[in-house]
Amino acid sequence: MIRVFHLNKSYNYPDMVLKDVSFEVKRGEFVYLSGPSGAGKTTLFRLLFADLSPDSGQIVVNGIDVSRARVKSIARLRRRMGIVFQDYKLIPSYTVFDNVALALEVTGYPRSRIQKTVWKVLKTVGIERQINRFPPQLSGGEQQRVAIARALVNSPDLILADEPTGNLDYEIADEIMQIFNTINERGTTVVMVTHNRSLLQRFKKKVFYLDRGQLQAYVWPDAC
Amino acid sequence: MIRKPSYIYPLLKLTANNIRRHPVINLISISIIAVAMLLLSLYFLAYNNASRIVSAWRSDLRVIVYLDDDIAADRLAELKNYCRDLDEVVSLEYVSREQALENFRKTLDEDEDFLKDLPENPLPASLELVLDAEVSSLGDVEHLARQLERQVGVAEVVYGSRWLRHLFSLLRVVKYFGFLFAAFLSLMTVFIVASTIRLSLFSRREIIRVLHLVGASRWFVAMPYLLEGIFQGTLASLLALGLAYGGFLSFRDWLHAQVPQWPIAASLKFFSPVFIVVFLCLGTGLGIAGFLLSSRWNFRD
Repeated sequence: MIRVFHLNKSYNYPDMVLKDVSFEVKRGEFVYLSGPSGAGKTTLFRLLFADLSPDSGQIVVNGIDVSRARVKSIARLRRRMGIVFQDYKLIPSYTVFDNVALALEVTGYPRSRIQKTVWKVLKTVGIERQINRFPPQLSGGEQQRVAIARALVNSPDLILADEPTGNLDYEIADEIMQIFNTINERGTTVVMVTHNRSLLQRFKKKVFYLDRGQLQAYVWPDAC
Repeated sequence: MIRKPSYIYPLLKLTANNIRRHPVINLISISIIAVAMLLLSLYFLAYNNASRIVSAWRSDLRVIVYLDDDIAADRLAELKNYCRDLDEVVSLEYVSREQALENFRKTLDEDEDFLKDLPENPLPASLELVLDAEVSSLGDVEHLARQLERQVGVAEVVYGSRWLRHLFSLLRVVKYFGFLFAAFLSLMTVFIVASTIRLSLFSRREIIRVLHLVGASRWFVAMPYLLEGIFQGTLASLLALGLAYGGFLSFRDWLHAQVPQWPIAASLKFFSPVFIVVFLCLGTGLGIAGFLLSSRWNFRD
């Protein structure tokens, strides 16, 4: 699903944020990208959906060379992945329904089917009762559920999540993790960025550990 | 079954949201564009009517050849034949001294009494030539007048088109000035639309970011702003046309009330339907141009 070869990235050369990073995520896997603050996790995360360009190296996601992809291909690639952020990135002036529907609308999804599809996905993440509310009227956990619903609504092959539980308390974080687990069990590949060690311990998955821009050999949470 | 992608509804929804979320910016923008378009429409209205009226006057070209008081009858006959043979002359009328006095008396109406005190008829006899407007330019009329002035028995040649020539020159200047004026206003309109869209883009950068993140293509992100530009340009030109029409009707009524005996008020005309369509298209085009200019500030992620 994801192949990264000899990836290098700097914002201010020669200070490298990522140094010769290579790894592979197989289809259907659930992996964490972890490491201390400033390790380059978010940079790597943004490189995966072509929000940044690498200095050198190659990133292949779902068969598309992201590092060399044109704008059109990037848009197409993003429609086949769901992206979840720590700060949710919801549109405050749109209702829950509109926020989720937006991901379908940009693909030209038939209008007649949008309502049903959105309702179904909102039900999956347990937020269907809030369908007509606006994000500022929701709690952090509820907003993150909406963001996950938006990421899921196109039935993507891959979910990328950057610290999705970072702003949430312990119990809500567990609920959100359960949703990601369920998504993964249905066959969707999940790549989650987190620096939360307790989360890694509670929900044990494969971990790619970054330290000062270098990827350590993948490890299991117990070794972190 | 593969369905055709449906983008119309979401794009209209995004456009409507853009407009609804920024009513003040849109209102200011539409008002300024409408004022620019109104100035443009008033200019065209004044120019179109002035050139039509002047052209109508031009088609009524007359040359009056005043004759010497002592012109012999055979010389008069020769002169009449000479004038009739000219290509430009459509018809010819001889006005004797007596007839001229009689005509003058009629124009004086109530004030004709003062003519009784005249010791003799001061008016000369004349030949009134009506020229063919199709074949005679103003330059031709001048040439003809000089030619007639050289004839024996001719005292003076008068033609009303001399001042028409000046009017035409003036209209030509107004026309070229108008092009500059129109170009300036159009440019101003484009910049206003572009600035509005830029402001809108800036205030909606988070939404644009989200659109890119969920996989919106660049044209999908840009299209609502194009539609916003079209909306502003078209609505502003409609508004300008409405105001121009109201102003036109008021001016025509006012003119008619001021000079009821002068038929000029009735001859004033508003734009033709074709011109109205062209004007609306111009407004729309300016909106599109504004969008294209603002797209230089790009819609990229």
